[in-house]
Amino acid sequence: MRFDLIFKHADMFIDGIVMTLELTVASLAIGMLIAMPVAVLRTMRLPYIDAVLRGYVFVFRGTPMLVQTYLVYYGLSQFEFIRDSFLWAVLRSPFNCALIAFSLNTGAYTAEILRGAIEATPKGEIEAAQAIGMSPLRMLRRIVIPGAFRRALPQYGNEVILMLHGSTVASIITIQDILGAGRTLNGKYYLAYEGLVTAAVLYLALTFLIAGAFGIAARHLQAHLRPASTR
Amino acid sequence: MDKIVGYLPILIGGMGVTIAVAILSMALALTLGAGFATLYLRGGRLGRAVTTSYTTIARGIPDLVLMLLFFFGGERAINSVLALMGYERISLSPFFIGVVTLGFIFGAFLAETFRGAYLSVPHGQIEAAQAIGLAPRRILGRIIFPQMLRLALPGFTNTWLVMLKSTAIISIVGLQDMVGLADKAGKATREPFVFMLAVILFFLALTAVSGNLLHRLERRYRPGF
Amino acid sequence: MQGLEPSGALRLAVRDLHKSYGALEVLRGISLEAHQGDVIALIGASGSGKSTFLRCINQLEDCSQGEIFVNGEHMDLVHRKGRRVARDPRQLRRIRSKLGFVFQSFNLWSHMTVLENLIEGPTQIHGMHRDEAVTLAQSLLERVGMKGREGAYPAQLSGGQQQRIAIARALAMQPEVMLFDEPTSALDPELVAEVLAVIRDLATEGRTMLLVTHEMAFARDVASKVVFLHKGLVEESGPPAEIFGAPKSERLTQFLKHVRLN
Repeated sequence: MRFDLIFKHADMFIDGIVMTLELTVASLAIGMLIAMPVAVLRTMRLPYIDAVLRGYVFVFRGTPMLVQTYLVYYGLSQFEFIRDSFLWAVLRSPFNCALIAFSLNTGAYTAEILRGAIEATPKGEIEAAQAIGMSPLRMLRRIVIPGAFRRALPQYGNEVILMLHGSTVASIITIQDILGAGRTLNGKYYLAYEGLVTAAVLYLALTFLIAGAFGIAARHLQAHLRPASTR
Repeated sequence: MDKIVGYLPILIGGMGVTIAVAILSMALALTLGAGFATLYLRGGRLGRAVTTSYTTIARGIPDLVLMLLFFFGGERAINSVLALMGYERISLSPFFIGVVTLGFIFGAFLAETFRGAYLSVPHGQIEAAQAIGLAPRRILGRIIFPQMLRLALPGFTNTWLVMLKSTAIISIVGLQDMVGLADKAGKATREPFVFMLAVILFFLALTAVSGNLLHRLERRYRPGF
Repeated sequence: MQGLEPSGALRLAVRDLHKSYGALEVLRGISLEAHQGDVIALIGASGSGKSTFLRCINQLEDCSQGEIFVNGEHMDLVHRKGRRVARDPRQLRRIRSKLGFVFQSFNLWSHMTVLENLIEGPTQIHGMHRDEAVTLAQSLLERVGMKGREGAYPAQLSGGQQQRIAIARALAMQPEVMLFDEPTSALDPELVAEVLAVIRDLATEGRTMLLVTHEMAFARDVASKVVFLHKGLVEESGPPAEIFGAPKSERLTQFLKHVRLN
């Protein structure tokens, strides 16, 4: 192992970490913005709208994120009317393409996680809210959603890790994320291990950090599930 | 748009490659999963430590990173061993690397599934089997194993569906599966959208059909009847 | 002291309430009035419809026929898609906020602390200032003997404690009428007494209450009026002394034979 080369290019890996985190966090944030209305609407089972949303979730959960990314990055450029439109300014950048594909992907998974958590709201808690005269919207905001977020936390933590791992697809469309940095290092010096091992270690470390953070968050937010220390 | 018709046989052949990779990877994953689950349950403290390290690595590192590491690093490592022994250099095919990578990763998921299923078999049933004098081997074969299969089925379904989608990354190291072929064809015809859309439909068909079959199996063998 | 004569204004009136599940009619025309200070115990075998009746009053279940008045306000119900629902959801919410409901299974909001459960209604529905709601909550917690547990989550409390909090939560809305739906049925036997003590306190202070219960001794001691339901109808009603001491109908006599009074 040529550790000297890894340290010589430490800044490349640091830039890679920043890029990976940027892409992951932004995708998760946009994905959450997509997921919340999708999840809530899906629990309402509205005709037509539900079919559309089910289709969205089915397509994005049923196909590889790599293919979804290809479709946005390579696929959309096939159409002249897109290349000629203002959209091209957005779609020309690999980062934006990755962001669009990743957000739609994690949005679909997160929507399903949230929907499950919303539907797991105890019926009695809803009745108690109705009984004091809460409106449906207020009930959603005060009782259903806050409860659902807490219930969804462990699964969402998992989704965050999957998104981090999935974001490696970005390096395939030339984005210099952690994996991109590793591949660049290997390519530059004709190495077989160093760059990729470094990338693997960094991803492993980030995975641990995320898992740990969600563990701590769960302990705070799910305090209501813990028996009291004192009686 | 009509160009895709000419490519259809090739794409369907690619789908065959995807299915073959998935089935072989699953066979390897099942073997590794069963082996490591046994190691965890029977291997004492060392067995647990080994299994935990394996699942941590396999689940904590992105599939793409592991695959590239196996593809570039694996070949180099094998060849340096072969060189020491005086053999010729070999080169590993993307197909082989893909199967090894996915088998390695999803073996870890299945190891957890099997471990959970084993521990879910009520201990009282094992005691009841001991009480009527069944030998340990027969307890495993007649009491634990049949129940484990049913308990593990939902986890297996999930692993299969996730793995099916993961096969897509193997095209990156050159596998001519349906993703690789569609990527090539899309570039050749300058119609990448059409070909990627076709791949999406193929994947949806694969996940829908196999998911449906497995879910039906789950319903049939649901624990507790 | 508390007789059958109305001791004050009419708080709740139900006229000819019907409800069916398909072909099965579980409520077959029940009428009932509660004046200020009345404590009405609803008794009857399981399946007699007493819980359903209580749940219909605040529309947790829809009724197929019948009228409901709370504090003189008529609940405006209309038929829509085969169900009978409130014409104006806002009116329903206003009426519900005047009816305190206590559930058999407590139904505290599990992601909120005790204090948050108590101030949720006052701040969100009544628009009360948080400080004021907290003061109110504190005094209610003292009343139900739960002072000092403001920060606890429901899952950290025993069933009896949870039910006392649920009662305080209902009281925090300052309701005109309290509805209790078998408040002790889900409790371990040793926890029943602490909840009944709280309800008894409320009765003696002149709260208007409807109480579905299996605790006959408690109904006899606390209620001003007892209503015996059988198969969706009021079979017999009257002051507890008459109902328990001199039942007129054969069915009530049979029913009382099968339940222990103490």
